[in-house]
Amino acid sequence: MRALTASIEEVFREAAARWTLIAYFTLSSLFILIFALAVNLDVVNGALAGAKLFGQTVEMGNRSIDIDRLVLGFESGFSGFLYLVGTFLALFATAHLVPRLQEKGTVDLYLSRPVGRVPLLLSRYCGGLLLAAANLVYLIGAIWLIIIWKTHVVHARFLLGGVTILFTIAVLLAFAFLIGVVTSSTGVSLMATYAVFFLAAILAAHDKIAAALSAEWAAKLVNGLYWVFPKTAELGRATVEQVSGGRAFHRVAVAQDLFAVYGSTALFGLAALAFSCWLFSRKDF
Amino acid sequence: MSAIEARGLRKVYRSRLGGRSVEALTGIDLRVEPGEVFGLLGPNGAGKTTTVKILLGLTHATSGEASIFGIPVGDPASRRRVGYLPEGHRFPGYLTARQTLMIFGRMSGVERADLRRRIPSLLDRVRLSDWADVRVKKFSKGMTQRLGLAAALVHEPDVLLLDEPTDGVDPVGRREIRDLLQEEAAKGRAVLLNSHLLSEVELICGRVAVLRKGSVAAEGQIQDLTTATSHYKLVASGVDDALLAQVRETGASVERVNGHFDLTARDVAHLNVVVDRLRARGASLKELTPLRSSLEDVFVELVSPSGTPDSTGRKASDR
Repeated sequence: MRALTASIEEVFREAAARWTLIAYFTLSSLFILIFALAVNLDVVNGALAGAKLFGQTVEMGNRSIDIDRLVLGFESGFSGFLYLVGTFLALFATAHLVPRLQEKGTVDLYLSRPVGRVPLLLSRYCGGLLLAAANLVYLIGAIWLIIIWKTHVVHARFLLGGVTILFTIAVLLAFAFLIGVVTSSTGVSLMATYAVFFLAAILAAHDKIAAALSAEWAAKLVNGLYWVFPKTAELGRATVEQVSGGRAFHRVAVAQDLFAVYGSTALFGLAALAFSCWLFSRKDF
Repeated sequence: MSAIEARGLRKVYRSRLGGRSVEALTGIDLRVEPGEVFGLLGPNGAGKTTTVKILLGLTHATSGEASIFGIPVGDPASRRRVGYLPEGHRFPGYLTARQTLMIFGRMSGVERADLRRRIPSLLDRVRLSDWADVRVKKFSKGMTQRLGLAAALVHEPDVLLLDEPTDGVDPVGRREIRDLLQEEAAKGRAVLLNSHLLSEVELICGRVAVLRKGSVAAEGQIQDLTTATSHYKLVASGVDDALLAQVRETGASVERVNGHFDLTARDVAHLNVVVDRLRARGASLKELTPLRSSLEDVFVELVSPSGTPDSTGRKASDR
């Protein structure tokens, strides 16, 4: 356990030293500050009576906007934005963890310690995930508190959005680790993971794509790939609707089958992580 | 129980696409005892690094067995008692020397409190006390090497595996490292030294193995490997050309070299015949020293293409 916590600590030290951690948190802080300082809302009896954005009065006419709906709309939109940006940033900040570990002259130093290869790899995975989680908690938590401060509206659901984002990061990071173990290249890991993200999003329309294909085998391939790949488009939608509490989330969770989205995505991540552990434990250095 | 034991270690590297395979080790046996400084020698590609990497579990043997204090090397627990200094190691440049030892010490299972107590003296021992809180990326090669040695010792291992430990270190530092290794051996630790610097190996190691093309070409005590030859250095007065001719008549070879004579006799009995003849003709002997071959001579003879290594694994001491 001592060895594994040391390995996780080293992930954080490395992130800090490489400016990844600082850049990651600076960007988040910048966003939080802009949000905190730029938006000023005048709430009267649960309705938005006036608003200022960057010091400029927002023209509202004679309309009165329900503040609860406004906040919900913002939180949902922000969650969707965070799903994409947060996932990409997290992968960018952590994809190097395996390739750097496998560098000549470095790997010997770690593997010559009395730590199994699988625990070592998993400790780095956990370190990367903790790094991403810390940033998500900071960003979402701060925005949530600012919203409460500015509007007095409390939506605990907003915090839930982070769970699906972290789940998506966990799955994609597992795939980045697999590519990292195979290629020892941060660039290739990132490119392959981003490619999976977008390809999986396109495959969300697998029914339509399959129907448009003339060859039956091609249609089966598209449908098959859809089930194999993580459901990135559905997860993005789920993140937004978890926050908004919209009907669509209910649809994702029930009608489309919970397993279809979360289960198959989790299986993809687990398979990628298991395969990367297996390969890493068999590798000669 | 031996500190390190390997039996029939064989390693075949196969290319990814099922093409050519290379047999890096052909089945070597090795044994290093506690308190012993053992040298692993050989030209590039002889299998030294592969052997060390198998002992550390960095590379998997194709066949054969290896253990550290009886624990198979595939078990991470075997590395609990091993300190390793790899060649060309790269510590994370963002860590200071103290942080490096703290992280790697903890990865070896040592508690923080123990490390806090142990690290200052260890840094002092490798002359890095003044650099304890400087980032490793600022270190010179010699300093990095000394830090590597400290990292290998941080968990007080019973076995030290060192790959070119004096690489990039100045002569004073080299001597300090040699002394340090001998101190460790005196404490009962086994040291396996992998080095190209034969003169250093000769100074530190008691026993060596010379690898050639993946097998042990020779193994034994340095004293035995560099055994006395039939060559002697003779310093004598009253030896003229006529006397030299008479010595040659016995079958001995003698040449005048820089004020002394290089003498080659068949054996000790023959040597005595030569000495008797010299003394009978009035020569006065001042010095007669058997010349030993250096480790370098032995090494070159064993690994050069024209050499006649004992590929059957017969020990040089048995020859």
